[in-house]
Amino acid sequence: MNAQRLFAIIKKETIQMIRDWPTLLMIILMPVLELFLFAYVGDMTLDHLPTAVADLSRDSSSRAFINALEVSGFFDVVQYVGSENEVIRAIDDNQVNVGLVIPPDFAGQVERGTAQALVIIDGSDSFVVQSGYSAATAIAQVHGMQLMLQTAQRMGMGSLGQLPIDTSTRILYNPNIDEIVFLIPGLAAMLLQLIGVNATVMAVVRERELGTMEQMLVTPARPVELILGKIVPPVGLITVDLVIIILLGVFWFKVPFQGSIWLFSWLSLLFIVSGLGMGLALSTVSKNQKQAQQISAMIMMVTMLLTGLIYPRSTMPPVVRAVGNLIPATYFIRIARGIITKGVGLAYMWEDVVALLVYGAIIVTVSAATFKTRLD
Amino acid sequence: MLQRIWAVIQKEFIQTLRDRRTLIIQLGLPLVQMLIFGYAIRTDVRNIPLVVADQSLDRASRAFVQALTVSGYFDVVNYVADEAQAIHAIDEGRAQAGVVILPGFAADVERNGAQVLLLVDGSDVFTSQTAYNAITAIAQSHSKEVLVSRLLRAGRLSNADQLLPLDTRVRILYNPNLLDLWFVIPGIVAVILQTQTITLTAAAVVRERESGTIEQILVTPIRPFELLIGKIAPNIVIAIVNMLTILALGVLWFETPFQGNFWLFFGLACLYVLSGLGMGLLVSAISENQKQSQQTAMMLMLIGLVLGGFIFPRYLMPPVIRAVGNLFPLTYFIPIARGIITKGIGVATLWEQVIVLAVYVGVVMFFATRAFRRNLD
Repeated sequence: MNAQRLFAIIKKETIQMIRDWPTLLMIILMPVLELFLFAYVGDMTLDHLPTAVADLSRDSSSRAFINALEVSGFFDVVQYVGSENEVIRAIDDNQVNVGLVIPPDFAGQVERGTAQALVIIDGSDSFVVQSGYSAATAIAQVHGMQLMLQTAQRMGMGSLGQLPIDTSTRILYNPNIDEIVFLIPGLAAMLLQLIGVNATVMAVVRERELGTMEQMLVTPARPVELILGKIVPPVGLITVDLVIIILLGVFWFKVPFQGSIWLFSWLSLLFIVSGLGMGLALSTVSKNQKQAQQISAMIMMVTMLLTGLIYPRSTMPPVVRAVGNLIPATYFIRIARGIITKGVGLAYMWEDVVALLVYGAIIVTVSAATFKTRLD
Repeated sequence: MLQRIWAVIQKEFIQTLRDRRTLIIQLGLPLVQMLIFGYAIRTDVRNIPLVVADQSLDRASRAFVQALTVSGYFDVVNYVADEAQAIHAIDEGRAQAGVVILPGFAADVERNGAQVLLLVDGSDVFTSQTAYNAITAIAQSHSKEVLVSRLLRAGRLSNADQLLPLDTRVRILYNPNLLDLWFVIPGIVAVILQTQTITLTAAAVVRERESGTIEQILVTPIRPFELLIGKIAPNIVIAIVNMLTILALGVLWFETPFQGNFWLFFGLACLYVLSGLGMGLLVSAISENQKQSQQTAMMLMLIGLVLGGFIFPRYLMPPVIRAVGNLFPLTYFIPIARGIITKGIGVATLWEQVIVLAVYVGVVMFFATRAFRRNLD
């Protein structure tokens, strides 16, 4: 390898990158835009679910139960209807997501211990179901428990005034379960990888399609120098993106940065290089830009859905998890959450760091090798 | 005019068919994605790895830990001595939740004063919420059982039902067994189609511009609008094949019941495909080179994915953000797909979305043609 030649290629790539300034601007601004959209969108706890009630009793017990649902903040009663069918119709029409049906003579049934209330939930939206289901069951249980304690007291079992086991919960790292704290580290990882893959894939494939790659090859530049030369300018660009994202996250969105910023910087660099390496590897398998686009669109979807950015990886079957392991963001999201949110050091995440190192080394070597053979 | 359009269509079809490799990728990748995502996306968190610091080790504490594991929500991965070690295990990522039971648990339960501490890894939102809800519910029902059995033993109560005045049943409409897949599949179909259609046409015009062949076409009598229609034609076929294959995979392989009318779905899906292709064409017409069109397309897909209601529920979004989401056809198609596939409802409840989609196709094609024409001068 020759430093002078390498420098010449880096210079050429940088000039090309700067000349295409609309693309450059887009690459820098896109993550910022995405960050803002995500940040204001990522509210995953559903409350104030619109609810329809068919109260066929209209007595004090039924009102107490409806009241218990409403004060919880999870349900907003927006409609009172006359029957179960009307409740279902309201859900069919998307007017409400939850319905409550209270049978006639609720108070009497509560006295006799045979009362049954029916909660109907819109099952077509998994968020609604999850929040609605657990909230409705919990509220009904608490309400039932209160009634039970009252009954017990009336039956002369006064000692029952308290439950035997009480739980208290402490949420580590993110005490308010703030979605933005959860999203920012992962988002940074995803956006960086996305830009990296796109930038390299398009750069290489374009050059091949336009035929200028041949011209590069008749120069004394070696394939390794070509590859490094192609990688260096995007690394700089993506580092700028990373700095912007982290600054926005910490200062604008007030995500606390618990760990070491230096450790994070070094590991980010490692991650950026492996992301670019993946882009290079993909570019060697794509014959034209159309194919490259198809493949990077798929990589984007896979990154979004399989790396633990949004959906927990622990619930995925092993094969799917293995597919996620092919994406460097999978390792880096854990690293980023570890450093930013948990504030832990290298000792806690060395496995992911080693994995990322091995990944980066393999992918750059492999793509350099295939690059060379493809040229012949 | 028809003759000219036909000629362009023929040319595009020949070009599409000649590039076998690209065609295979275009037809195959959506299937692969459907297969992976169908297995991947689960929002009902189960088997949360749990670390237990049981400092009592008596019958009552064991019964409580047992209640946690039989619920299916928690898997005990490790027993440790105290709270500090439990936090350490969560720091390391070996567990995502921890339970700390203080010494003398059984006696505390007798006195109705037992306390259990739950530690939750807050860096994973889905898991922490589920863990929190689950343990609260489990502790309560466990308490109830303890009480009832105590009273039964003491002979104060002849029948457990006496003490349970209210029973609430929950019925989930459309998806009674809460199979996560049933929610996910219609959404995945919509999302994959969005990605696919935008990708298909994003490079269409810009590619010809970059390789200079657009000039050759323009010296022929073909008008810009005719060229765009011709460009879209083979992609319509590809996208419809994509739609049918991934839908077939969802229904036959993942066994998601298709409740509604297939032809209604097919017609609306075609409209949706057209709107996506039109959007890609617009991207293509305003971009100077493929790198730009690629970046723009990626951004649009990502925004659609985030704001369209596939991942995050739309009615929690602030109005401005929701308005941005309204610019994406995906936003309208997700309720259509869920409505027809999962709920089995008809056009009567969906007409709003249908009209918007139809208008959308017209508008996007108009702007694509205009942008294309302007970029030519």
